[in-house]
This record gives sequence, C-alpha cells and structure tokens, in this order.
Amino acid sequence: MSTNIIRGKSFTKKLNFNGNGSFYFGIGLITFLIILAVAAPLISHFDPTGQDLLNTLVPPSRQHWLGTDQLGRDVFTRILYGARIDLTIGFAAVLLPFIIGTTLGLISGWFGGWFDSLLMRIVDTTIAFPFYVLAIALVFVVGPGPKAIILAITLVGWVAYCRIIRAAVLVAKELDYVHAAKLSGLPTARILRKHLLPNVISQAIIFSMSDIVLSILAIVSLGYLGLGVPIPTAEWGSMIQEGQAYILQQWWIPTIPGLMVVVTGFGLSLIGDGLVKRLNR
Amino acid sequence: MTHPLLSVRDLHVEIDTPRGLLKAIRGISLDLNAGDSLGIVGESGSGKSITLKAILGLLPKNARVTSGEIFLDGVSLNSLNAPKRAELLAEKIGIVFQDAIAALNPVMTVGNQIAEVPRRRLGWSKEKSHQRAIELMELVGIPEAEARFHVYPHQLSGGLRQRVAIAIALSGNPQLIFCDEPTTALDVTIQAQVLRLLMDLRLKEKTGIVFVTHDLAVVNEICEDINVMYAGRFVESGGVQECFQNPSHPYAYSLLKSAPDMEHQVERLFSILGEAPDLTKAVNGCPFAPRCFAVTEICRSSEPELRNQGGPFSACHHSSTFKQSLGAVELTADGGQK
Repeated sequence: MSTNIIRGKSFTKKLNFNGNGSFYFGIGLITFLIILAVAAPLISHFDPTGQDLLNTLVPPSRQHWLGTDQLGRDVFTRILYGARIDLTIGFAAVLLPFIIGTTLGLISGWFGGWFDSLLMRIVDTTIAFPFYVLAIALVFVVGPGPKAIILAITLVGWVAYCRIIRAAVLVAKELDYVHAAKLSGLPTARILRKHLLPNVISQAIIFSMSDIVLSILAIVSLGYLGLGVPIPTAEWGSMIQEGQAYILQQWWIPTIPGLMVVVTGFGLSLIGDGLVKRLNR
Repeated sequence: MTHPLLSVRDLHVEIDTPRGLLKAIRGISLDLNAGDSLGIVGESGSGKSITLKAILGLLPKNARVTSGEIFLDGVSLNSLNAPKRAELLAEKIGIVFQDAIAALNPVMTVGNQIAEVPRRRLGWSKEKSHQRAIELMELVGIPEAEARFHVYPHQLSGGLRQRVAIAIALSGNPQLIFCDEPTTALDVTIQAQVLRLLMDLRLKEKTGIVFVTHDLAVVNEICEDINVMYAGRFVESGGVQECFQNPSHPYAYSLLKSAPDMEHQVERLFSILGEAPDLTKAVNGCPFAPRCFAVTEICRSSEPELRNQGGPFSACHHSSTFKQSLGAVELTADGGQK
C-alpha cells in the first residue's frame, strides 16, 4: 500500500524550509556561536581572566589572535567565554518570560472577565515602567550578577508574550475547531493545551527570536554600566566598557565584542524572519 | 409521554452592533424528534446560523438570547448551570461546519482529533479510542483509514476533510447532528457524496439532522421537513414535498421560482428584488412586504404569525390567495413588477 505517501510527516519535515536560505544562514550562524561558546576551553588554551602584565595591549598576532587587553588577557579567549555568559543569560532571560507570559495570555484570552481586565492593567503598568530603572533597582536589591539580570528581564519581558498570546487566543477561540472542541465537551485544560496553544504559539516563538537579541543587548548595556556580571568575568558588555579607553590605538579591544553582539543579533533576526515566512505562509 | 429530542420555544436573539441592537432572531419555535431531518433555509443574514449557535451556546460575545427556552431531551437548558448544559449538549449534539479546514485543528493528526472525544470525554482506553476512530473513518467513507489516521488536515482534499469533520461530529455518539452549510464549500460531485453520506448516516445510525443551507436542492434531497427563514423568523414550515409543490408564503414561492429549472429554458433567472430588512430597526408589518408581489395594505401594518392555514404552516396574510395575484401582476424575468 502507498502508506508512505499519505503518512504524516514529522513536524520538522512538515515545516519544509526549502527556499528559505537566510533562515538556514541564521541557524548556521547561531549554531556556530554556540559551538564556539561550548568548546571555548578546547579552542583556546588561555585563561579568560588570567592576566599577563608583561604583554598588555598586544596587537593581533599568531599567538593572540585578537591581541590582548590592558591587563594582558587574550581578547579572543574572552570573546569565547563571554559568549558563554551572554548567550546563556540571553536564552534563559527569554525562556522564563516566554513561559509565564504565554500561560497568563492563554488564560486571560480564554476566560476574559475580571482576570483579563486586571491582568491587562498590570501589563499596561509594566510597559509604562522604564526598564533600566527597574533593572538598576533590582541589581541593588539582589546584587549584581546573572540572577538580577534574569529577574529584571523576566519581570518586564513577560508582558509582551502575554499580549501576543492573548490577542491570538481572542481570534483563535472563535474558530470552528475550537467551537467544535468546546461543544464536544472536552475538558477546558485540554482545549487550551491541544487546540489553542499549538495554534497561537508561533507568533510568540517568532517574537522570542528578536527578544533574545533585546535581552542580550540589555545584558551588554548593564555590563557596560557596570551593573551586569561582575568583573573580571569575561562578558561582552564589560569588555566594551573596559576597552573603550583604547578605541583609538587598540580598536579591536572594544570593537570585536560589539561586533559579536551585532552578529548574534543578525543571526537571531534571520531565524525570526525565516520562521515568519514559514509559519505565516 | 414522550418529549421531542429538541424543542425550541419562542427564541429571541439580539446582537449588539455598532449600528445598534440587531434583532437577529425574533421568536422561533421548533420541535425535532429523534431521527428527524430538518432543513433551515434562508438567505444570508436571515438568522439561520445564529439559530444553531444560540441552541449550542456558541453565540459570539456581542450576541445574547433575550428570551425563549430550549429543551434538549425534555430538559430545559435554562435550568442547568453552565457545565451541566455543556455536558448535555456534548452528549446529544454534534456539529459540522461549513469550512472543513477551519473546523479541523491544523496541528493535530485527524485520527487523534476523531479519537479525542472517546478518549478524553468518554474515558475509553487508548486502543479502544483508536479503534473507534478507524471505525468512524471507515463509516464516513475515508479510504485507507488506518494509514490516514496519522495524517494532518492540510494533507487531505476538501471532501475528505469534510468527512473527517463529520467523523469528529459523530465521535461522541450524538443523537443529533447540526450541519451549518457543510456542502457549500465543496464542488458539486463531492457535495453529492457528502450528502449521500449524511443520508446514509441518518438511516444507519438513526442520527437526527438539522441542516442549515441556502441551497434548496440540497434540502430537497436530504430533509423531510423544512423551515424557511426570513428576517429572523420562520415564514414557512412543513414537509419538504408539500412546501416544494405548494409553497404557502410568497417568499418561499419566490425562492423556489428563482432556482434554475432543467426542464424549462428561461433567458434570465427569476430573482427577488430588494434586500432583506435592516433588523436594527423595528419591523412594522410583514418584513417581506417591501419585496412581495402580493403585498396589500394589511401587510404593511401587521406582522403575520406562523400558523396553519391549510398546507404548510405560513406566516402570510394571504397564504392561500397570494398565487392568484400572480395572474394580475405578471412577473418579469428579473422579478420586478410591471
């Protein structure tokens, strides 16, 4: 029997990314960055925080691919280890708001009523609140470090997912298959999980790609302000901040970490665009 | 005493629109026994779909039932709390929508969608629900059901999708299926197949059918009884044969006349001039009066009730005599009055 032809394909195959080259490029770029971050100790034998005061501000050479900074630390090594910190916090700081915002948006859109009104007012208030003021306040309370950054981004970031999902639910819950599911007496939890969530989540996934870029920017900005991951830990933002004094003579010290932020953002944006193309057809 | 499976008493529905309160349904009643097949016919905006939605409690947010009662299997839905009502509706009624692609969850295999109700609501085992889904798929005539269990809706043709939708509607063993123009989006040959399927199901499974459509030919084929709806009311009600041979309301008569006829060649089809009345405004007199060829003074001042006047029930002041005025007022091909 021709079962192969009509058998359901796996989800990834169904997405069929053919003819979406920039998407693949984005995936490749981000994968490459992740490999660099994970394999950092294998690629470079330098210690990211190890100082070598006899070899400070050395220009790029065969030994130090991207030179050294004012304390003689290998810039290339610090870039790799910085990727570990920045990518980890970047993804982590999106995952939490994603889960919280999606759940609340789903409930709020489906049930409506006083819960919806209350939640939307909280969302409005949060959006009106300046992010960096909140972040700085939290850093003072929690103490600088990844925890404070993730907490700050989560406290603000969930509202975007909540709004996106809520809006999508308001549309989807009037669709026939949701009506049919409702009418057939299925438990509400199941309708939400099986019939609504998979059909509204794509918008949130697409947004999360650009949101990762935004959180990495936030981490880097906080690092630049000296409120991020405490020095001497290698982190792109603090590298830029420390290196800016040398931008005229040793331009690579602050420029390369900046470029890394740009490349990461570029890669994630390509993935986001590619997903828009495929999922929104 | 036996009670009808579904009984609707003087149902009124209003919709909040930007233009004002729209009286979408203005007092309709119907009785349906197990195994009956009822067609509800009317033009767009006459309130056909809203009637179904009101019964099922699927009205949009801006619409509400303002009065009237619905009895399902002798139980008044008004007397039940929301979960109990949903449970009763789920047990008794299945629904098939017009657009099968919108009626299926795009990210769930069709088999799982059919097996869902047996598994989750009836609490059957996984194997038994799976088996039931395959049975249902075979019942609705899906070839290679076993293999198609794992297929997603977009991989099926329109006709097969509608069959899947019917299988889903049947999966809870309902006594009644509501069909909201299920064949409108299909091409003619597929339409015929789906209609045949519905008729077979009625005979085999003894499932009652309420069929909402604007297609008279479809009603003729599949239903025993017909209600013609106009401006939120039934204007004619009776057996299909009777209504088709001897329509007792000018609107029903005009509808029949505007359907193409294979036997008599005409240059232009008959059509009903004008538009349905704006239901945000109060209706004075018969709502069809402005478009009626047999209109008289009384039609403009008092709205007729649906009643037995010999022949099908009719809501017309002149149900027995309007056809005589046809002689005096010669209908032109485009339905205008000379």
